[in-house]
Amino acid sequence: MKRKKLFIIFFAMIFLGWVGSSTLFAQVKEVKIGVILPLSGPLAPIGKSLKEGAELAADIVNKKYPELDISIARWEGIPNLGGAKLTLIFADSRGDPGWGAEQAKRLIEDEKVVGLMGAYQSAVTKTASVEAERAGIPFINPDSTSPDLTKRGFKWFWRVTPHETWFTRDLFDFLDGLVAGKAPGVKAIPKSELEPLAAAGENTEWGAASLAEIEKFAKERGWKIAESFKYPHKAADLTSESRRLIASKAPTFLFAPYVADAILFIKTLKEMKASPRLIWGQDAGFIEADFYKTLGADVNGILTRDLFSPELAKVKPVAGKLNEMYKKMTGYDFSGSSARDFVGVQVWAHVLNNAKSTSPEAIRKALNELNLPGKELIMPWKGVKFGSPFPGDTQQNELGSGVINQYQGYPGGKLHIIFPFEASTSKLIYPFPGWK
Amino acid sequence: MRQLLIDIFSFEDRPRYERIGFLIFIIIVIIFPWIVKSAYGRAVMIKFLLFALFGLGWNLIGGYGGQVDLGQAKNVGFGAYATGLMMLWWGVPFWITVPVGMIIAAAESFGVAYPMFRLKGHYFAIATLCVALVWKELFVFWDWTGGARGVEIPIRSTPDFIYMQFGSPIHYHYFIFFLFITQLLFMNWFRKSKLGYECQAVRDNEDVAASLGINVYRTKVIAYTITGGLGAVGGSFMTVYYLYIDPDFVMPLDLSILIAMTVMVGGAGSMWGPIIGSALLIPLDMYLGAWLGAKKRLGIDFMIYAVIMMVIAAREPKGIWGIIERVRKKRVG
Amino acid sequence: MELTVQLIIYGTLMGLVFALIALGLSLIFGVMNIVNFAHGEFLMVGMYIAYLLSTFLHFDPIISLPLAALAGYLLGIMSYHFLIHHILRGPMVAQLFGTFGLMLFLRYLAMYIFTPDVRSIRTGILVGKVLTLGWVSLDLSKVISAGVCLISFGLVYWMIYRTKLGRALRATSLDSEAAQYMGIDTKKMNALAWGIGGATVALAGSLLAHFYYITPTVGMLFTLIAFAIVALGGFGSITGAFLAGIIIGLIMVLSGHLVSELKFTFIYIVYFLVVIFRPRGFFGW
Repeated sequence: MKRKKLFIIFFAMIFLGWVGSSTLFAQVKEVKIGVILPLSGPLAPIGKSLKEGAELAADIVNKKYPELDISIARWEGIPNLGGAKLTLIFADSRGDPGWGAEQAKRLIEDEKVVGLMGAYQSAVTKTASVEAERAGIPFINPDSTSPDLTKRGFKWFWRVTPHETWFTRDLFDFLDGLVAGKAPGVKAIPKSELEPLAAAGENTEWGAASLAEIEKFAKERGWKIAESFKYPHKAADLTSESRRLIASKAPTFLFAPYVADAILFIKTLKEMKASPRLIWGQDAGFIEADFYKTLGADVNGILTRDLFSPELAKVKPVAGKLNEMYKKMTGYDFSGSSARDFVGVQVWAHVLNNAKSTSPEAIRKALNELNLPGKELIMPWKGVKFGSPFPGDTQQNELGSGVINQYQGYPGGKLHIIFPFEASTSKLIYPFPGWK
Repeated sequence: MRQLLIDIFSFEDRPRYERIGFLIFIIIVIIFPWIVKSAYGRAVMIKFLLFALFGLGWNLIGGYGGQVDLGQAKNVGFGAYATGLMMLWWGVPFWITVPVGMIIAAAESFGVAYPMFRLKGHYFAIATLCVALVWKELFVFWDWTGGARGVEIPIRSTPDFIYMQFGSPIHYHYFIFFLFITQLLFMNWFRKSKLGYECQAVRDNEDVAASLGINVYRTKVIAYTITGGLGAVGGSFMTVYYLYIDPDFVMPLDLSILIAMTVMVGGAGSMWGPIIGSALLIPLDMYLGAWLGAKKRLGIDFMIYAVIMMVIAAREPKGIWGIIERVRKKRVG
Repeated sequence: MELTVQLIIYGTLMGLVFALIALGLSLIFGVMNIVNFAHGEFLMVGMYIAYLLSTFLHFDPIISLPLAALAGYLLGIMSYHFLIHHILRGPMVAQLFGTFGLMLFLRYLAMYIFTPDVRSIRTGILVGKVLTLGWVSLDLSKVISAGVCLISFGLVYWMIYRTKLGRALRATSLDSEAAQYMGIDTKKMNALAWGIGGATVALAGSLLAHFYYITPTVGMLFTLIAFAIVALGGFGSITGAFLAGIIIGLIMVLSGHLVSELKFTFIYIVYFLVVIFRPRGFFGW
């Protein structure tokens, strides 16, 4: 009988929690932004660093940091909202589009957030932004790069980061630049030395989109592709895929994996004594702290598409200072991913300040009129201004840009900017030095 | 005809407390969106009804049929993709895509059931798991299904009863409730049908069933085929509810396991088992995830969930329905 | 030709490691008819032990092999006493469900303790060394791992078929009740099977840690591969697990070379075809 009682109590508790979860303790002078990130599941390592990036930005908005030369550091809260503090409410998407949508609902209506941010994986961003669109709540996406997202014509969806089309164009600009002899410290490289290309991407929404873009641009720019294939992500073993890349005799390897597979690819290629002239990674796995911490010296010479580099401190002192703060907090440098979520919070702060209100319409107007200069940002961008940089895009930041970085002198080394060539912080190491 | 209707709508053969409990449950679900204003609470309710729907279908093979099928997600996927692709390509109304999805899923189930029921027990369970994974990988591989990039249904701004798109969760609530009740009534009929009795006889003892003149093999194949069709309905709902599907989302292994588990926890082979099971697991999972999911230390929500699962498996292998039955027996005897 | 030979060597080496992973699963099933969903998580535990010993105590990962096996043994015994013993009387679904709970618990306990970060072992006499034989270059740690797998298989085989303990274990697996009448403590035998199962898979984990990354969610994939191997070889068969492991390794590498996206599909299809013609796998009984 006792057990029966316990069960009744148990069910009653669940039911009460279910009904009563809408209770809110409203606080004065607080602006809530909901942030959806993959905090558990396979992408949890990346989700964690994104969360830390966003938390740092919120902290800078809410407290005075006179040593930083950006306007949010001079604020204490949002000035035009009477110094209201920016509160980030995190929700775990578990990397599941359904979960992402449900958490978006919870944040919008139960937590009464002013707007949303996230969700890194393009698939989750798709479903979560549908909820924002239905509810008429602004969704600022700082970190998903599938080109489809801004082609849907959504009214309440803005993307801050450049997308895959952009990055792939950068890649081919970079390759053409190598041929034209524009790369710092390297003479013009004959195209035959770099051709053909071999590309491997994971079979997810993002990997498939990257490969499609690579194939499209290669055709446009006249680069031969020897091998281009998708592989099952979270693979147990990548020997046959690596062997396939080597067998294609291509001197240039292009990758689009998340971090676990990126590590496995490099380890396996090393084991097989592959000798490519160029290795390029499509962000994601290639820029995570886990990638270079795990591989140590083996990352030297690897190129990766990125958005940020600690070396930016040379040209952009504020980026260096922010990176120091982040490093103190987490133990590793900002990556292109975590820095993007930092920018996402920055954009939110500026938009709220410009809107002078938390009503969705005012925010929408402020977002569409936003013109944030590059000097405010941690990124080497010209700024943030929403428009249509590529055909079909709507409400996409047109002033963003990507960089291509190279790992040099690891462990303890630096991630140097190589492309754009005029902003490079070091000479390009070419050809790829190989593994010892 | 009259007998058929009675079989479908009548719960007369169930004890009184069950009927009262069921009535209370129905009333709670009907008035739920008017009492609970929390959007998450409503989302949890919708997801609960969705999984109760999945569970009802799975219960046919897993509960009444006694065959552990760990591949129900493939049928969910067929339903979701039938709706998604037909809607995207040709603008086919939702209500036409549902039967199409069911037919595809049932046909596929029939096709694989034929060789698969040569297997028993764990071999069968793993074979179902493998089949579901093969389909998932094929859907990722194929370009015509959208591959890993999935299928996105354009959003409609006005409520639409042909394509079943609404802005408010209340609509979706009654929509899924309708599907759920339909399936429940079907199961109510099934339970009393000849096939239903045959299934239970096969589950209890195959040899005895065969000696009674039941074609064991045929019974299993038919049960598996129907289960396939029933699984597709929830998939179709997922497409119009989330407006985006991809293979990792609608046909993963975790979904297969979760479906089996809700039935298991509630009590396999009983009419109410799937409902009780999802009423416990889905809110538990979703509230634990929402409250503890984004904390500094990750994983507490899953650990609590896992401990509850292990305790139920160890203490109540017949599920919560087992407890209820026992309590009742004690009272009667 | 060169390529094919190379792929076959890679496939065999990986297959041996897979076989060792599957061995414990097969053994546990053979003795008490239970499929363990948490098997991959035992592997993960073995990997973390190798990682902890190497990072904090600066043990060479080779030295951590027996320690990981010991830890796996204890974990197996503990799982048996605290959970498996209690779920054995339930129906098959309840058993699957209980081990699934154990899987979630171990995985997220690891995530709680170690955070989701991806880690790997960077120092050790075998780590990152490459062995070159003519035109074939192999990761030395993979070669040694395959060797250790062979040895462990031999040991387990010897234990099961040549010792008194093994006879008792086999008797339990053939007919638990009869074994009990013969005076065999079947509970102890079950626990032993879990212990050996845990030890072999944790050993495989610490071997895998030499060349694989370590993260709390690493287990599921290996659980699935192990399922396919065990079902292909026949539940409960040690020889079956050994051969099926190598076959799966070969299929994976060869099909991965042709159509990488579908490499797991091929494994499942092969499994499906085999069990249709031989419903109990190669060596099942």
